[in-house]
Amino acid sequence: MRHSFHLALCALVRGRVLALLLAAVALVHWLLPDFVRSDGTAAGALEMWVRAVPGVVDVIVLLVVLVVACGLFAREREEKRLALTLVRPAHALGVAYGKWLALIAVAAVVLLCSSALTLLFPPASAVSGLPPCRHHYEPKMPPAADVAGHLLESYLADPKTPEAVKKASRSAVLTLLTTKEIDRYDVVKPGATMMWPYGLEALQEKITAGEPLALGVRFSTQFEMRAPVAGKLRLGPYTAVVSNTTQSVLEIPLKKADAISPEKDSQLDLVFDNTGKTAVMVRPRRDLVVLARADSFAWNLLRAQLEVLALAALLSAYGLFLSASLSRPVAVFTALVTFLIVLMVPSVVAQFPDEFNAEFADRIGLALSRAVSTVTSSVSAPSPVADLATGKAIEWPELGRLLLGNVFVFPFVLLSLAAFVARRKALPDMD
Amino acid sequence: MNDNIIEITGLVKTFRDFWFRPLAAALKGIDLQVAKGDVFGLLGPNGSGKSTTIKIVLGLLKPTAGKVSLFGLPPRDRRARARLGYLPELSYLHPFLTARETVRYYAGLSGLDRRTAHVRTDQLLEQMGLAANSNRAVGGFSKGMARKVAFAAALVAKPELLVLDEPTSGLDPLATRDVKELIRSLAADGMTVLVTSHQLFDMQDVCSRVTILSQGQVVGGGTVADIVAKSADPRHALEDYFAASVQA
Repeated sequence: MRHSFHLALCALVRGRVLALLLAAVALVHWLLPDFVRSDGTAAGALEMWVRAVPGVVDVIVLLVVLVVACGLFAREREEKRLALTLVRPAHALGVAYGKWLALIAVAAVVLLCSSALTLLFPPASAVSGLPPCRHHYEPKMPPAADVAGHLLESYLADPKTPEAVKKASRSAVLTLLTTKEIDRYDVVKPGATMMWPYGLEALQEKITAGEPLALGVRFSTQFEMRAPVAGKLRLGPYTAVVSNTTQSVLEIPLKKADAISPEKDSQLDLVFDNTGKTAVMVRPRRDLVVLARADSFAWNLLRAQLEVLALAALLSAYGLFLSASLSRPVAVFTALVTFLIVLMVPSVVAQFPDEFNAEFADRIGLALSRAVSTVTSSVSAPSPVADLATGKAIEWPELGRLLLGNVFVFPFVLLSLAAFVARRKALPDMD
Repeated sequence: MNDNIIEITGLVKTFRDFWFRPLAAALKGIDLQVAKGDVFGLLGPNGSGKSTTIKIVLGLLKPTAGKVSLFGLPPRDRRARARLGYLPELSYLHPFLTARETVRYYAGLSGLDRRTAHVRTDQLLEQMGLAANSNRAVGGFSKGMARKVAFAAALVAKPELLVLDEPTSGLDPLATRDVKELIRSLAADGMTVLVTSHQLFDMQDVCSRVTILSQGQVVGGGTVADIVAKSADPRHALEDYFAASVQA
């Protein structure tokens, strides 16, 4: 593995891949900030800057790593050097791992340099320094799929349910109900109170220490766009007042109340008393989040770059597998097409959740999209740049899971396959 | 005790297309043995199956039928591969590595520890006359120099069997003479050499035994001494024998 690593690293460094990547990083950090436009707020400017500068660097790194990985085995095979390597008593898996580690090392150096430039030359809008990131806590509700399952059981047991629903595919109905549950609106009528369960175990330390919290909320009104909303919010020992705002997306600072009864403290629910004149609608699974201070922007940047590195690790293992199996142009083409599909499939799945009205071919397409989306969720699900841009803290357990899958498990499988194929395809096809 | 380093029995290789339909029969049941200490010449016209045989011996191709053993082991066995060195027809070196890095790379792949690899690399580069250029990238080397680096890479792990595919191909007469002397000295040290070439004069100079392949079959063979002894023109003995065998 060590020798293969050294060889691949020499190829990447002396082949100027690393130098070109570093030049691209410098250019992006130098030129792109001039083209960034935002909504004029400091938070908006920072968000756009993060998406445009470190975000573009991340995309470049991922694409370059994927494309270069597609050439590492294929090029050696085409130039007949792979056979020379594989007649030695070295393990093909070790050879594959060496190449993969060299790619990771190059990606790590580039991401490190990009991070250093990000911290050394922050955007002009961050005059008082880069803002700290915040933990995002969502309401503690039963999984949407479980709720959908219970709903389906009750529908099936209900004699009034139309026969068409009873005869429909169970999985299709469940998918539909799950989507409906995720997007379900709770309506709080004027003068009414609504409670959402909010387990605060994770926040307990912060509550005890009296740290400031905020509630991120998106209010919708029933019959009128931007009707004024007013009410009182209560979250355990914290309270806030919403007074006649017409903004739909709000970040409301929560203050620790002086006198909260022990009963209310122990409920740990988010309570909203609608004191306004308009019915207010909230999707509890989408529109509510408690924000608590986490750590610095720099730490979040480090975690975001680790996420990007984990993605690079997975993509390079995939590229090496393609490289061992296919010729270089075909491998690059396949890799790029797959990359695009992986990026597009989640939005296809999100936009077309309902398959009842679809044609047969559309249903097949949807089923395929869902399958691809599930299989590739380790690539498409993490959103390090978006999290960094919006100041959402990337949580260590989440990052740990991603690293475990994308750096250890999936690459091991892909590299084992690459080694297996490389040994059987050590010679060019025409040889 | 069986003293054969390579044993091939009834070796058949048929190349197939994507649908597994037979495309070309490269080997049609060949038998051959290479004994320890032999400098064994595998001769034949283009397309006779020499390279296919070598690739099977090296474990790079799987035979369609027949049995191949290397040191009594299957060719893909790591223990067998640890005991062989291979010099391909062209040097196929990584152009961005220096001569020293190239030899060390192959030493590492052969399982040599770092210290032994360094010592052995320096020895071989000195022996090949490359010490002064050892830190130059091999991409800038002449064909003869690149060949020497490839030779050093093949010999770095002190193999018991050296497989040479057209070792003098494209070399000038002086470099060819150096290569032949090297093969002779390796044979004198007891190394077994399997060599293919179209340069029959060179083969007559270095080989102890030859086998001639034509259209995937063995059409002749024997010790070079016997072939020379039976020939009317000892200087062209192998050439005449080759022509007679292939045209028969």
